Parts: sequence; C-alpha cells; structure tokens
Amino acid sequence: MSRYAVNSLLYRLKKDQAFRARFEADARAALAGLDLTDAERAAFLARDMRKINELGGYLHLVMSVPGLAAH
Amino acid sequence: MGKIVFAGAMSHVLDPDYYQRACGDDGRRKVTACMAEIARMGERFTATRPDALIVVADDHLNAFSFNAVPALCVRIGRTVPRMKQDHAEAFDAVLEHMPDEYPLHEDLANQILEKGIAAGFDLAMSWEAPVDHAFLSPVNTMHGTRPIPPLVPIWVNSFVAPQPTPTRCFDFGRHIARVVTAGPWKVGIIATGGLSHFPELSLPRVGETDTVFDRKLIHWMEAGEHEPLRNLGVDELHKTGEHEFLNWMVLLGAVTPARAQVRYFGELPRINLAAVEWSLS
Repeated sequence: MSRYAVNSLLYRLKKDQAFRARFEADARAALAGLDLTDAERAAFLARDMRKINELGGYLHLVMSVPGLAAH
Repeated sequence: MGKIVFAGAMSHVLDPDYYQRACGDDGRRKVTACMAEIARMGERFTATRPDALIVVADDHLNAFSFNAVPALCVRIGRTVPRMKQDHAEAFDAVLEHMPDEYPLHEDLANQILEKGIAAGFDLAMSWEAPVDHAFLSPVNTMHGTRPIPPLVPIWVNSFVAPQPTPTRCFDFGRHIARVVTAGPWKVGIIATGGLSHFPELSLPRVGETDTVFDRKLIHWMEAGEHEPLRNLGVDELHKTGEHEFLNWMVLLGAVTPARAQVRYFGELPRINLAAVEWSLS
C-alpha cells in the first residue's frame, strides 16, 4: 500500500480544480506517471471510493472530493 | 494574573441540513437541540468578557497536505481565513455561509508556542494555515451575531497515524493553563469534535458509533477522574471512533481537576452529538 501516493492524489483531486477536471475528462491520462500500484490505479479509474479507503485513502478525503465523494 | 474563564467541548459539524441528509428528521432535530445548548454556552462565555478564545481542533486534511502533518500546531499571526473549497461537499459545505476572516490573539498564541518549545513541546507553527469546520462551526454557533473574540487555533493531529498520545495532549493542555495563568488575560478554551463516529476511519463503518465508550468517557469527565483518560491508547480511540477525543484531552489538561457537566448528548447513527461544559472555580 502506498499511503502517500493514494492520499496525495486524493488531496490533489480535492484541492486542484484543474487537475480534477483533467481526471474527469481522461482519468487514465491524469494518473499516468503516478507511483500507484495496479490495485490503486484500478480503484481510482473505477472511482471506487470504498476500495480507495480500503487501500489507505483517508476517510475524510474519500468523503469530500467534489463530484467523487462517498457519503 | 490570567485565568481560564470558560471551558467547553462540543461536536463540530453543526449543520441541520447536513444531518437531515445523513440521518433524516431525527438528525435535524438532535443537531438543532445540540446547537441550542452550544449557543447558550456561548452566551455564558461572552458574559465573562473574555480577551481570547483558544480553539483546540483537528484538521481534516484541509489545512495540511501530505508535505507535513504536525502533531501539535499553533496558529500564529494576526488573522486566520476560513478554508475555501470549490464545489464543497459534506462537512466542507458547512463553512460556506461563515465569515471569511477571524482575528487572532497574537500575544497569547506566541506565548503558548515560545514557552511550549522552551518547556519541551516540539510544537509546529503556522502563519498561513486556514481553519475548517472543526474550528469555525463551534465558534460561529457559540457567537451567533455577537463579535467573536481573538482566537488561538491549535491543531491536534487526530487522524493521520501516528498521532500524539492522550497523555501528551493532556500534558500540553497543562502547559496552556500555565501560560494563561502567567499572563494578564481572561481566556476561554474549547475543544471540538466527537464524540464516537467513523470507527477505524473505515468507509463501510460510517454509521456506527460506540455509545458505551462515550458514556465511559463522559463518566470520567463528570467525576473529574482524568488519570484513566490520560491512560487511553491511540489504538483504543481509533477502534471506537474517538479520534477527536485527543482535542478534548488538551482541554482536560488545561482545566484538570475540574468536573464536566453534560449540556447535551444525543445518539445518531452517524455520530453521537455532545456539548459539555466544565465548572471552573
């Protein structure tokens, strides 16, 4: 589990509106080059916040990224 | 000689619409009742004609990114802005109607920081970090339309393991009390968050609480029995969803051995809401 990689990505998705728009337009391209495991990358591509939380993504981030948040 | 003139602790998502969405009519009713008690606590605080309000709370990965997560951090400077979040969701949306900027009590904050470092607390400091709902929801609910006194925001890392221990938080609270006593100011202190919610910070467990553990904490606070609270383990807080009780531990250190009086306790599926005030001599 790469706790830093998962959470820094969640943080960027929350705080960086332009990056979030890139992710929404083409998630695979937005994630290219990031140091994620295959399981982490798959979870983000699937917008699977439950899986992202299970992989180490902090709860308050997975509950508050605009447009992607789990409630 | 300075004095702590008010001490209270309370839940910090104080928004009827949030709880309506999360818990239905019961959520709205209970948070409205809790907010009414917190507003009355605010009236008693204002009646002390305070010089400053120390707010001990946690960051929800808003103020601090993953370049640094301080265990304990004192906000210094002259003003603090509220957090801004585009397209805010959930607890972030609670902030949207609140004022943008708040005055800080620069002297008191600097003394807590400087004397803390001298006393062996390796405190972080920030001139720029904004404050989120954990600070501003209680502060605004307490004050309504009345002026808010200068704040001293203090962050405790409640969520990103490894957190500071309950003992360390309590001892830091004792340091705060020494600084206040040595100064000339009348100071209020509040701790925010809790009580039990989000056990293990696990999304599938959102909706669970540990009321038995809450009642144990409340019993010890009401009795002024602080030693069992100092001896709590961070793992125990994690499992029971009491992460934010670390903020309360700082307050307990500042007011020990004062006894708590529960102003409100209400069970909801998502969180147990609470408002507690300490009887100060």
